[in-house]
Amino acid sequence: MKKVVVNPQRCVGCMQCMIACATAHSRTQSLFTAALETPTPKPRVHVGAGLCGDGFPNRCRHCDPAPCMLACLPGAIHRDPELDTVRIDPDRCINCASCAMACPFGVIRYHVDPLGPPGKTVAVKCDNCVDRRREGRIPACVEVCKSGALTFEEMGAAMKRQTDAVARSVASEVEGKPAIPAGVALHRALRRASWEMNQERKENSHEG
Amino acid sequence: MKDSVKEKSIAQDSRLLLEKARADGVETVWDRFAAQLPNCGYCEMGLSCRICVMGPCRIDPFGEGPQRGVCGADADIIVARNLGRMIAAGAASHSDHGRDLVETLAEVAEGRAEGYGIADEAKLRSFAGEYGIDTNDKDALAVAAELAEALQEDYGTRKKALTLLARAPEKRREIWKKLGIAPRGIDRETSEMMHRTHMGVDNDWQSILLHAMRNALSDGWGGSLIASEVSDILCGTPTPTPTTANAGVLKKDQVNIVVHGHNPVVSEMILLACQSPEMIALAREKGADGINLAGVCCTGNELQMRHGIPMAGNHLSTELVLTTGAVEMMIVDYQCIMPSLGQVAACYHTKMISTSDKARFPGMEHREFHPDNARKIAGELVREAVENFSRRGEVYLPVAPVTATTGFSVEAVVQALGGTPEPLLDAIKKGAIRGAAGVVGCNNPRIKQDHGHVTLMRRLIENDILVVDTGCAAVASAKAGFKTAEAAAMAGDGLKAVCQALKIPPVLHMGSCVDNVRILTLASALANALGTDISDLPIAGAAPEWYSEKAAAIGLYFVASGVYTVLGPMPPITGSANVARLLTQGLNDAVGATFAVEPDPEKAALLIRRHIEDKRRNLGLDAKAV
Repeated sequence: MKKVVVNPQRCVGCMQCMIACATAHSRTQSLFTAALETPTPKPRVHVGAGLCGDGFPNRCRHCDPAPCMLACLPGAIHRDPELDTVRIDPDRCINCASCAMACPFGVIRYHVDPLGPPGKTVAVKCDNCVDRRREGRIPACVEVCKSGALTFEEMGAAMKRQTDAVARSVASEVEGKPAIPAGVALHRALRRASWEMNQERKENSHEG
Repeated sequence: MKDSVKEKSIAQDSRLLLEKARADGVETVWDRFAAQLPNCGYCEMGLSCRICVMGPCRIDPFGEGPQRGVCGADADIIVARNLGRMIAAGAASHSDHGRDLVETLAEVAEGRAEGYGIADEAKLRSFAGEYGIDTNDKDALAVAAELAEALQEDYGTRKKALTLLARAPEKRREIWKKLGIAPRGIDRETSEMMHRTHMGVDNDWQSILLHAMRNALSDGWGGSLIASEVSDILCGTPTPTPTTANAGVLKKDQVNIVVHGHNPVVSEMILLACQSPEMIALAREKGADGINLAGVCCTGNELQMRHGIPMAGNHLSTELVLTTGAVEMMIVDYQCIMPSLGQVAACYHTKMISTSDKARFPGMEHREFHPDNARKIAGELVREAVENFSRRGEVYLPVAPVTATTGFSVEAVVQALGGTPEPLLDAIKKGAIRGAAGVVGCNNPRIKQDHGHVTLMRRLIENDILVVDTGCAAVASAKAGFKTAEAAAMAGDGLKAVCQALKIPPVLHMGSCVDNVRILTLASALANALGTDISDLPIAGAAPEWYSEKAAAIGLYFVASGVYTVLGPMPPITGSANVARLLTQGLNDAVGATFAVEPDPEKAALLIRRHIEDKRRNLGLDAKAV
């Protein structure tokens, strides 16, 4: 079964996945009208900033066993075997936050959801775009990602791709092509240099 | 949990006021910067294109996703087009500022600008001479009228080359001619850049970048230079003046008015109004001990250079000075004015006033200044500021101000040297002074406030490199105490002796950011005195904390004029290895100078020292290994 694979080294921090996710979980399904809906649709994938400001798309891992499911007293969280997806039933959710406390990745949010019961704050997280999948479409975050940080593939294929990439980088002197393009490497090195400089412990106040 | 204020700024006033802002619940530029992280990598690398609506497009820097925009433009073309438009916006900003001064000059000549006049008639006449105007037997206003007309011609399309290119060394002009980048008209080059970067026009990244240089030169040897010179004619050519700096220049017992922006046309009239006996009496009546005018950013630099008006802070301090609760009124003109200021002021009693027909801001009252009504409106505003004194709440002034000497125009530098640049050239030839560096540009929340400027300048003067500075960099060094004669003690032995003999600081304040052209004029004069080109001189430029399009244009006109320039933050070009290589290496063959990018000022100092020693070696002077 194909799954969403996160390739963190490819994230450029553009947050397109967040916008696409919020649109995919809106009533009107188009960016321009979704932004005008009440309640406002919210993303279920969240791009965080790493130490040097590098992006990372933080998304539900659909763990098995899932700590959130084990922590849910009213039984609102279940596994959908068809798409191997951990899902939340908003009608059963009692907004207790137990699942968020149990989640090791901090991917569960609480708000009134355009697709949930009107006016009821519920736990919301990634549903692997089940509705889109049934229409034969791939998850919205993957569709919009142009840098390859989010891909939709068979786990076996993804692992082989990763293994090959590592093998190529080890042999890069022979092949002459670095695993990370020079421009990206330069961009990241400068980010890191700025970060390190701002972290300096050495006191440099001139007035105090 | 928020980061320590020590990570945000090295300036004690900023640190304490940022703590106050946090306690008061005031959102600042650092909060908004943190909220923006991670920054979009496509945009940071220059790989997103929003020029047309077949797109927007982006290029995958990893090489697997899209490699061309809808139109077919690859990474090189997209990065070059984006950079070209950045330069056009920067050149347009300074040059439009210059236009406002030319219009004021024209209205002074017509007698329609009450309060303004010709403050430096000698400069008016010599500048008119550069434009081929016969000034004999003409009164000042007649000369001003003809000069304003001639200056406006430089903005247009009827010239083959800008008049003031004549100031550049002959070798430099030859280079521009050979490359086809001698600017023809100030507005023309900006307009042409917008045309070239329209979809389907110039799609050779090298040719776009050549025009970007021409566009930047149209600012450096055109719009900015006119802005600086006409400001001197109207408001006076700066001379060394004692002054003070940091947020402590605000006064607890006086009405505090702060001017912010870039154009001296507004602030000069505010200054006049603040000095009027009637207003001072009114302030006393309201329980204040007078009226204290202070500046921030480059309007502050303009007033400080000419009148010694105290400087409350640079770019990242503009919100913080309001959190003192001591500002009765902030009056802004244009450029670098954060649209958040109205919201900050709303937490205190501060009245916010916008003055330019082309710059409006949320939370500000708009009172439009024109040369013919400026005097009247300035009087009304100062009266309102004085009346606002009684609404003041608690005041927090965390530090005492630092003293500084400012006002080193080219004329003042030559004067300090005894009337000719010879003593400076001799000191450089003997090696007492290794060379000179212009440290310029903004603040940027990516870099701890003032850390880039202050660290770099400290290392340069320690190593006998004379520093000239402008803009927010100049405010940083004033706050750090580098602008006093005593600061010579921080310099290396050679520079120290020269500074002590001439009684000048080791860091000379040359003005606001349009005044970077003063540095070009000085460099040209030195090159002409040696019969050589600017690119042969042991000099360098640096913009350790730059953020704006204007700074990008300044950097490029420095490089295109032959000055090696080290940037702190990276411009959005890493998406194209070709563009990055051209700007950091290839330009050396074309214009004899390149950019370097180095966020760490300690390393930037080494780059500059190495460059200066290399240039000394090439000139046959003694050179050290760095």
